Amino acid sequence: MFKYLLKKEFTLIFRDLHALLVLFVMPVIFILIMSLALKNSYSNSVDTPLKVAITSSKNNKYIKTMIESINENNFFDANFLKVKDNKEILYKENYDFIVDIQRNYIERIKLNDKNFKVIIYSKPDTSLQKIEILKKLISSASTKLILEDLMLAQKIDTKNVLDFESKIQNAYVYKKDGFEVTPTSVQQSVPAWLVFSMFFILIPISNTFINEKAFGTIDRIRSINVSLFPILLGKIVPYYFINQVQVVFMILVGMYIVPILGGDSLVIQGSIPLIFLVSSAVSFASISFALLIANIAKTTEEATTIGGVSNIILAAIGGIMVPKFVMPKFMQDFSEYSPMSWGLESFLEVFVRGGSFNDISTYVYNMITFAIICLLLAYILLKKRR
Amino acid sequence: MSIVIKNLCKSYKGNLVLDNLNLEIKQGSLFGLLGPNGAGKTTLVSILNFLIPKDSGTILVDNMDLDKEENKIKSICSIVPQTYAFYPKLTAFENLEFFGSLYGLRKEALKKRIEYCIEVTSLEKYINKQAHTFSGGLKRRLNIAIGLLNSPKILYLDEPTVGIDPQSRKYILNVIKKINEKENTTIIYTSHYMEEVEYLCDEIAILDKSKIILQEKKEKLLQKNSIIKIKLLDEIIEVDTKDGFDNFTKMIAKLEKENKRIENIDFGYKNLEDMFLNLTKQDLRD
Repeated sequence: MFKYLLKKEFTLIFRDLHALLVLFVMPVIFILIMSLALKNSYSNSVDTPLKVAITSSKNNKYIKTMIESINENNFFDANFLKVKDNKEILYKENYDFIVDIQRNYIERIKLNDKNFKVIIYSKPDTSLQKIEILKKLISSASTKLILEDLMLAQKIDTKNVLDFESKIQNAYVYKKDGFEVTPTSVQQSVPAWLVFSMFFILIPISNTFINEKAFGTIDRIRSINVSLFPILLGKIVPYYFINQVQVVFMILVGMYIVPILGGDSLVIQGSIPLIFLVSSAVSFASISFALLIANIAKTTEEATTIGGVSNIILAAIGGIMVPKFVMPKFMQDFSEYSPMSWGLESFLEVFVRGGSFNDISTYVYNMITFAIICLLLAYILLKKRR
Repeated sequence: MSIVIKNLCKSYKGNLVLDNLNLEIKQGSLFGLLGPNGAGKTTLVSILNFLIPKDSGTILVDNMDLDKEENKIKSICSIVPQTYAFYPKLTAFENLEFFGSLYGLRKEALKKRIEYCIEVTSLEKYINKQAHTFSGGLKRRLNIAIGLLNSPKILYLDEPTVGIDPQSRKYILNVIKKINEKENTTIIYTSHYMEEVEYLCDEIAILDKSKIILQEKKEKLLQKNSIIKIKLLDEIIEVDTKDGFDNFTKMIAKLEKENKRIENIDFGYKNLEDMFLNLTKQDLRD
């Protein structure tokens, strides 16, 4: 009988084109878009650096050194410009910043004159982080200019001191020896959208299950001498298989398709058995959640709405849509309650940090507990239909 | 007796749907269960098929207690519900194969039974087509075919001809008759269509306002309600013969005595719909 249960479920899945689009095409599109869109956030270089116009009444050696100093940072592209109208430059020529500097401001500092002006003009939607970075660059460049003169006067070798910043190096510490994966947007977006798409198994499960209820098929099955347990198991196994195919498919997209479009390639160095364990736990949680929603909802529209909205909320708070590290502390704490966050953190531990079973065990237990609770509630609701 | 129901009660949220219902259905009979909307027909069929629990009362199916022998009773019964209880995206064969496997049929036995069910319902041409492409009549036939998979001794048909054309309906009724005659299957047939029950069933019960208000052999019932129309030149006289033909012979004698010329005599009976409306009153039901 179980063979026919599986055969029926697989046939229904493969004949549901919309469900296949949701399960495979939607996450691929998300992975491609987000990997390419967030590429700069994880990279040392950018394709479109922020345009900075340095303006002053006269271009002199200080301004030139300032521009050189700012341009050492890959995120900015500064040049000297005679600016008459800030608005025109910002909006029509699409500059990100205009820095208005008094041409003799370095001399004024040296003379302890506090009345010098450096003004940064920017659009109202410019993030404060970017403004702060530019401020620091200007301040650092100015300090260098002043120090350089002083050190030359004192005959001190300026090379080491002024290039100090370039001497500071960052080294990533991985949990596993020999593990070296450079953090890229694709390392973040593949696990994130993979977890999201695995939870979208809810759409085909609930559609099939609610149709079974609406058409009376479930009642017909219940009138037959067959236990409900294999019926539920017959739903879990095929969708578990589909989830695993999703995992392999999305990883392959990250490894081979994203680089073709100019993104970074997904690097898999983590333990394959651990990836399998995480994908199994996520799958178990998502299928059980789907079965619960399918038992709560009365119509497919209701299931799509309840399931879709709850998935999006779980994704939003779980760090799928917005990476957790950009969230404030209270949101990061709140995200600990999203099953999607447990799945994502487990994948990141394995994919990015080279984590071991101990690093993911809590998340895996959480997902299994969540799945068991959902499954029990689904079973009770199904029984209660009598 | 195939099914014996004693003092069956069922209520939903305080509303009594079945009130001390008593009913006996003989083995091999084609039993018509009539009743207006909300009378409790589907509730009764659902209780008999373990889809909803009863509140109280006893039900014996083939001498087995419904409360104690669920598995055994399930194995000899089958239900064809009002809805198309199959998978529209599966072909007719895939549906039959799936439900057949739930009934525990395997390999050759499954294949043979599917072939039989296809033959009985004449689905040969459509066996490899997905069920959602079927007409209403074909869907009803597939619904019945699935119900026959376990060779049931008792088959419940809950309004199995709703929403289909007269040709398909006639065909389905003949299929049901054939099943009853060939396999001696007890058939419990609920319907709104009086003419269907009149054509099909040998025994009829009318369920109204939670109770069985009538249970009778069809022939007896119709005979009891037979009526003779005597057409004269300027009037038609109806003679009620439910108590025998005395009234009729007396009326003929009277007309002869009065020298009235009889144009025609029509031996007929009130149809089931008239009786049904008469018994259940004609007020509209929710």
